[in-house]
Amino acid sequence: MTASFDNLKTGDTIDGPSFAVSRESIRLFCDASLDYNPLHLDDDYMKGNFGRTNFGGIIMHGMNNFGLISRMLTDWAMPVGAIHRRLETRWVKPVKPGDTIRPSGIIKAKQVTAKSRWVLIDVIVRNQRDEPVATGEAMVEFPVLAKAG
Amino acid sequence: MTMQAEKSAAPAFETDFWKDANLRKVWDEIVPGVPRKTLPYKLTFEAIALYCKAVGETNPLYLDEAAAKAGPYGGLIAPPSIHILLMFSCTPADDWMRSPGTVNAGQSWSYNVPARPDDTITLQARALDKFIKRERLFVVHDNVFFNQHGDVICSGRGQTIRPM
Repeated sequence: MTASFDNLKTGDTIDGPSFAVSRESIRLFCDASLDYNPLHLDDDYMKGNFGRTNFGGIIMHGMNNFGLISRMLTDWAMPVGAIHRRLETRWVKPVKPGDTIRPSGIIKAKQVTAKSRWVLIDVIVRNQRDEPVATGEAMVEFPVLAKAG
Repeated sequence: MTMQAEKSAAPAFETDFWKDANLRKVWDEIVPGVPRKTLPYKLTFEAIALYCKAVGETNPLYLDEAAAKAGPYGGLIAPPSIHILLMFSCTPADDWMRSPGTVNAGQSWSYNVPARPDDTITLQARALDKFIKRERLFVVHDNVFFNQHGDVICSGRGQTIRPM
Protein backbone atom coordinates (compact mmCIF):
# COMPACT_ATOMS: atom_id res chain seq x y z
CA MET A 1 0.00 0.00 0.00
CA THR A 2 1.26 3.49 -0.82
CA ALA A 3 0.77 5.85 2.08
CA SER A 4 0.78 9.61 2.22
CA PHE A 5 -0.03 11.56 5.33
CA ASP A 6 -3.08 13.20 3.79
CA ASN A 7 -4.74 10.04 2.49
CA LEU A 8 -4.15 7.92 5.58
CA LYS A 9 -7.09 7.45 7.90
CA THR A 10 -7.88 5.84 11.21
CA GLY A 11 -8.41 2.13 10.79
CA ASP A 12 -6.09 1.72 7.79
CA THR A 13 -4.04 -1.43 8.17
CA ILE A 14 -0.44 -2.39 7.59
CA ASP A 15 0.49 -5.99 6.86
CA GLY A 16 3.83 -7.31 7.99
CA PRO A 17 5.90 -10.29 6.95
CA SER A 18 5.20 -13.86 8.00
CA PHE A 19 8.08 -15.36 9.96
CA ALA A 20 8.61 -19.08 10.57
CA VAL A 21 10.21 -19.68 13.95
CA SER A 22 12.56 -22.63 14.29
CA ARG A 23 15.42 -23.66 16.51
CA GLU A 24 17.67 -22.48 13.69
CA SER A 25 16.01 -19.05 13.43
CA ILE A 26 16.36 -18.62 17.19
CA ARG A 27 20.01 -19.64 17.08
CA LEU A 28 20.59 -17.21 14.21
CA PHE A 29 19.00 -14.44 16.28
CA CYS A 30 21.39 -15.34 19.13
CA ASP A 31 24.35 -14.87 16.77
CA ALA A 32 22.97 -11.66 15.29
CA SER A 33 21.99 -10.05 18.60
CA LEU A 34 24.69 -11.59 20.83
CA ASP A 35 21.90 -12.51 23.24
CA TYR A 36 22.85 -16.03 24.27
CA ASN A 37 20.53 -16.22 27.25
CA PRO A 38 19.89 -19.95 27.91
CA LEU A 39 16.15 -19.22 27.64
CA HIS A 40 16.78 -19.42 23.90
CA LEU A 41 19.34 -22.22 23.77
CA ASP A 42 19.26 -24.69 26.60
CA ASP A 43 16.52 -27.33 26.65
CA ASP A 44 17.60 -28.72 30.00
CA TYR A 45 17.54 -25.29 31.63
CA MET A 46 14.09 -24.64 30.22
CA LYS A 47 12.69 -27.74 31.94
CA GLY A 48 12.82 -25.71 35.14
CA ASN A 49 10.27 -23.26 36.48
CA PHE A 50 10.47 -19.47 36.38
CA GLY A 51 8.47 -18.55 39.42
CA ARG A 52 5.06 -19.95 38.57
CA THR A 53 5.83 -20.21 34.86
CA ASN A 54 7.15 -23.22 33.00
CA PHE A 55 7.85 -22.51 29.34
CA GLY A 56 8.24 -26.19 28.48
CA GLY A 57 11.20 -25.61 26.17
CA ILE A 58 13.26 -22.88 24.58
CA ILE A 59 11.50 -19.69 23.53
CA MET A 60 12.16 -17.10 20.86
CA HIS A 61 13.70 -13.80 21.90
CA GLY A 62 11.00 -11.23 22.60
CA MET A 63 13.12 -8.77 20.65
CA ASN A 64 12.73 -10.92 17.54
CA ASN A 65 9.11 -9.73 17.60
CA PHE A 66 10.40 -6.19 17.97
CA GLY A 67 12.69 -6.60 14.97
CA LEU A 68 9.85 -7.93 12.83
CA ILE A 69 7.53 -5.07 13.78
CA SER A 70 10.30 -2.59 13.06
CA ARG A 71 10.86 -4.23 9.66
CA MET A 72 7.15 -3.89 8.87
CA LEU A 73 7.18 -0.21 9.85
CA THR A 74 10.29 0.73 7.87
CA ASP A 75 9.10 -1.19 4.81
CA TRP A 76 5.87 0.80 5.00
CA ALA A 77 7.36 4.19 5.83
CA MET A 78 10.61 4.49 3.93
CA PRO A 79 9.25 4.30 0.37
CA VAL A 80 7.11 7.40 1.02
CA GLY A 81 9.81 9.37 2.82
CA ALA A 82 8.37 8.76 6.27
CA ILE A 83 10.54 7.85 9.26
CA HIS A 84 9.99 5.18 11.90
CA ARG A 85 10.49 7.20 15.11
CA ARG A 86 9.24 5.10 18.01
CA LEU A 87 8.16 1.60 18.94
CA GLU A 88 6.90 0.32 22.27
CA THR A 89 6.11 -3.34 22.76
CA ARG A 90 4.98 -5.79 25.40
CA TRP A 91 5.28 -9.55 25.16
CA VAL A 92 2.04 -11.31 25.96
CA LYS A 93 2.75 -14.92 25.04
CA PRO A 94 5.96 -16.88 24.46
CA VAL A 95 6.84 -17.91 20.91
CA LYS A 96 8.33 -21.35 20.33
CA PRO A 97 9.99 -23.30 17.53
CA GLY A 98 7.32 -24.41 15.07
CA ASP A 99 5.27 -21.24 15.47
CA THR A 100 4.66 -18.86 12.58
CA ILE A 101 4.25 -15.25 13.55
CA ARG A 102 3.16 -12.16 11.65
CA PRO A 103 3.08 -8.52 12.69
CA SER A 104 0.38 -6.10 11.61
CA GLY A 105 -0.56 -2.54 12.33
CA ILE A 106 -3.65 -0.38 12.41
CA ILE A 107 -3.61 3.38 12.27
CA LYS A 108 -4.94 4.82 15.49
CA ALA A 109 -4.53 8.56 14.96
CA LYS A 110 -2.80 11.32 13.07
CA GLN A 111 -1.25 14.35 14.72
CA VAL A 112 0.13 17.58 13.32
CA THR A 113 2.70 19.29 15.53
CA ALA A 114 4.48 22.63 15.22
CA LYS A 115 7.08 21.29 12.84
CA SER A 116 5.99 17.90 11.64
CA ARG A 117 3.26 15.31 11.12
CA TRP A 118 2.86 12.01 12.92
CA VAL A 119 0.95 8.78 12.49
CA LEU A 120 0.24 6.67 15.58
CA ILE A 121 -0.09 2.96 14.95
CA ASP A 122 -1.27 0.11 17.13
CA VAL A 123 0.84 -2.94 16.39
CA ILE A 124 0.31 -6.59 17.16
CA VAL A 125 2.10 -9.84 16.40
CA ARG A 126 -0.04 -12.95 16.14
CA ASN A 127 0.92 -16.61 15.92
CA GLN A 128 -0.57 -19.26 13.63
CA ARG A 129 -3.51 -19.72 16.02
CA ASP A 130 -4.27 -16.00 15.70
CA GLU A 131 -3.22 -15.50 19.32
CA PRO A 132 -1.49 -12.20 20.14
CA VAL A 133 2.12 -12.79 21.18
CA ALA A 134 3.19 -9.13 21.28
CA THR A 135 1.36 -5.81 21.29
CA GLY A 136 2.45 -2.22 21.16
CA GLU A 137 2.33 1.25 19.70
CA ALA A 138 4.46 2.99 17.11
CA MET A 139 4.99 6.52 15.83
CA VAL A 140 5.95 7.28 12.25
CA GLU A 141 6.93 10.80 11.24
CA PHE A 142 5.86 12.23 7.90
CA PRO A 143 8.15 15.26 7.61
CA VAL A 144 6.60 18.34 6.04
CA LEU A 145 9.62 18.65 3.80
CA ALA A 146 10.82 15.23 2.80
CA LYS A 147 14.13 14.72 4.55
CA ALA A 148 15.99 11.87 6.12
CA GLY A 149 17.23 12.21 9.61
CA MET B 1 46.64 -2.12 11.69
CA THR B 2 44.87 -4.37 9.20
CA MET B 3 41.21 -5.38 9.52
CA GLN B 4 42.36 -8.91 10.31
CA ALA B 5 44.69 -7.71 13.03
CA GLU B 6 41.91 -5.58 14.52
CA LYS B 7 39.64 -8.60 14.56
CA SER B 8 42.17 -10.83 16.26
CA ALA B 9 43.00 -8.11 18.82
CA ALA B 10 39.39 -7.77 19.91
CA PRO B 11 38.37 -10.16 22.68
CA ALA B 12 35.90 -12.78 21.45
CA PHE B 13 32.35 -12.34 22.64
CA GLU B 14 31.62 -14.84 25.42
CA THR B 15 28.57 -16.78 24.34
CA ASP B 16 28.38 -18.87 27.51
CA PHE B 17 26.29 -16.60 29.72
CA TRP B 18 26.84 -18.95 32.69
CA LYS B 19 30.57 -18.31 32.69
CA ASP B 20 30.54 -14.96 34.49
CA ALA B 21 27.17 -15.40 36.14
CA ASN B 22 28.63 -15.10 39.64
CA LEU B 23 30.10 -11.68 38.78
CA ARG B 24 26.76 -10.17 37.86
CA LYS B 25 24.58 -8.18 40.19
CA VAL B 26 21.42 -9.80 41.43
CA TRP B 27 18.21 -7.79 41.88
CA ASP B 28 19.12 -6.85 45.46
CA GLU B 29 22.45 -5.33 44.35
CA ILE B 30 21.16 -3.32 41.40
CA VAL B 31 20.94 0.34 42.42
CA PRO B 32 18.64 2.48 40.28
CA GLY B 33 20.53 5.49 38.98
CA VAL B 34 24.00 3.93 39.00
CA PRO B 35 25.51 3.90 35.49
CA ARG B 36 26.22 0.51 33.96
CA LYS B 37 29.70 -0.21 32.67
CA THR B 38 29.70 0.08 28.89
CA LEU B 39 32.12 -0.45 26.01
CA PRO B 40 32.55 1.39 22.69
CA TYR B 41 31.70 -0.84 19.76
CA LYS B 42 32.59 -0.48 16.09
CA LEU B 43 29.54 -1.48 14.09
CA THR B 44 30.44 -3.36 10.91
CA PHE B 45 28.58 -4.00 7.70
CA GLU B 46 28.93 -7.72 8.44
CA ALA B 47 27.19 -7.36 11.81
CA ILE B 48 24.39 -5.37 10.19
CA ALA B 49 24.03 -7.98 7.44
CA LEU B 50 23.83 -10.80 9.98
CA TYR B 51 21.17 -8.95 11.96
CA CYS B 52 19.23 -8.32 8.72
CA LYS B 53 19.40 -12.04 7.90
CA ALA B 54 18.05 -12.97 11.33
CA VAL B 55 14.90 -10.86 10.94
CA GLY B 56 14.54 -11.19 7.17
CA GLU B 57 15.44 -7.60 6.33
CA THR B 58 16.20 -7.12 2.64
CA ASN B 59 16.05 -3.32 2.42
CA PRO B 60 18.82 -2.15 0.07
CA LEU B 61 19.51 0.85 2.32
CA TYR B 62 21.05 -1.65 4.74
CA LEU B 63 22.67 -4.05 2.31
CA ASP B 64 23.35 -2.53 -1.12
CA GLU B 65 26.01 0.17 -1.07
CA ALA B 66 25.21 1.60 -4.51
CA ALA B 67 21.48 1.79 -3.84
CA ALA B 68 22.07 3.24 -0.40
CA LYS B 69 24.38 5.91 -1.78
CA ALA B 70 21.59 7.06 -4.09
CA GLY B 71 19.04 6.93 -1.27
CA PRO B 72 17.90 9.46 1.32
CA TYR B 73 20.78 8.84 3.72
CA GLY B 74 23.59 9.05 1.15
CA GLY B 75 25.05 5.72 2.21
CA LEU B 76 24.44 2.50 4.03
CA ILE B 77 22.59 2.60 7.33
CA ALA B 78 21.56 0.00 9.89
CA PRO B 79 17.93 -0.88 10.62
CA PRO B 80 16.54 1.12 13.58
CA SER B 81 16.27 -2.02 15.68
CA ILE B 82 20.03 -2.62 15.51
CA HIS B 83 20.01 -1.53 19.17
CA ILE B 84 19.05 -5.15 19.89
CA LEU B 85 22.63 -6.06 18.96
CA LEU B 86 24.15 -2.91 20.43
CA MET B 87 22.72 -3.69 23.87
CA PHE B 88 25.01 -6.70 24.15
CA SER B 89 27.94 -5.47 22.07
CA CYS B 90 28.28 -2.29 24.17
CA THR B 91 28.23 -4.00 27.57
CA PRO B 92 30.81 -6.21 29.29
CA ALA B 93 30.43 -9.87 30.21
CA ASP B 94 29.55 -9.07 33.83
CA ASP B 95 26.59 -6.85 32.90
CA TRP B 96 23.43 -7.98 34.65
CA MET B 97 21.46 -7.92 31.42
CA ARG B 98 23.23 -11.19 30.60
CA SER B 99 22.20 -13.03 33.74
CA PRO B 100 20.77 -16.39 32.63
CA GLY B 101 17.02 -16.40 33.12
CA THR B 102 16.59 -12.65 32.54
CA VAL B 103 13.14 -12.34 30.96
CA ASN B 104 12.42 -9.33 28.76
CA ALA B 105 8.97 -7.96 29.61
CA GLY B 106 8.81 -5.23 26.98
CA GLN B 107 10.73 -2.24 25.64
CA SER B 108 10.18 1.17 24.07
CA TRP B 109 12.65 2.91 21.77
CA SER B 110 12.85 6.32 20.09
CA TYR B 111 14.96 6.82 16.98
CA ASN B 112 16.92 9.91 16.02
CA VAL B 113 19.69 9.36 13.46
CA PRO B 114 20.47 5.98 11.94
CA ALA B 115 23.53 3.98 12.90
CA ARG B 116 25.89 3.33 10.01
CA PRO B 117 28.56 0.78 9.23
CA ASP B 118 31.92 1.79 10.75
CA ASP B 119 30.28 3.97 13.38
CA THR B 120 31.91 3.72 16.78
CA ILE B 121 28.95 3.48 19.09
CA THR B 122 28.83 4.24 22.78
CA LEU B 123 26.13 3.59 25.34
CA GLN B 124 25.00 5.41 28.44
CA ALA B 125 22.85 3.08 30.50
CA ARG B 126 21.54 2.50 33.99
CA ALA B 127 18.82 0.86 35.95
CA LEU B 128 16.14 3.49 36.44
CA ASP B 129 13.82 1.71 38.84
CA LYS B 130 13.17 -1.66 40.44
CA PHE B 131 10.08 -3.13 42.00
CA ILE B 132 8.29 -6.32 43.00
CA LYS B 133 5.01 -7.29 41.39
CA ARG B 134 3.13 -10.58 41.76
CA GLU B 135 6.21 -12.13 43.43
CA ARG B 136 8.40 -11.20 40.48
CA LEU B 137 11.48 -8.99 40.65
CA PHE B 138 11.49 -6.25 38.01
CA VAL B 139 14.19 -3.82 36.92
CA VAL B 140 13.56 -0.90 34.58
CA HIS B 141 16.58 -0.05 32.42
CA ASP B 142 17.22 3.02 30.31
CA ASN B 143 19.73 3.36 27.55
CA VAL B 144 21.01 5.94 25.06
CA PHE B 145 23.26 5.04 22.13
CA PHE B 146 25.51 7.67 20.54
CA ASN B 147 27.66 7.70 17.41
CA GLN B 148 31.22 9.00 17.26
CA HIS B 149 29.94 12.52 16.51
CA GLY B 150 27.96 12.63 19.73
CA ASP B 151 24.64 12.33 17.94
CA VAL B 152 21.95 10.30 19.65
CA ILE B 153 21.15 7.25 17.53
CA CYS B 154 18.33 6.00 19.71
CA SER B 155 17.15 5.92 23.27
CA GLY B 156 15.04 3.35 24.99
CA ARG B 157 13.92 1.75 28.15
CA GLY B 158 12.55 -1.60 29.10
CA GLN B 159 11.60 -3.92 31.89
CA THR B 160 13.21 -7.21 32.70
CA ILE B 161 12.09 -9.83 35.18
CA ARG B 162 15.16 -10.86 37.12
CA PRO B 163 16.05 -14.47 37.82
CA MET B 164 15.21 -15.52 41.41
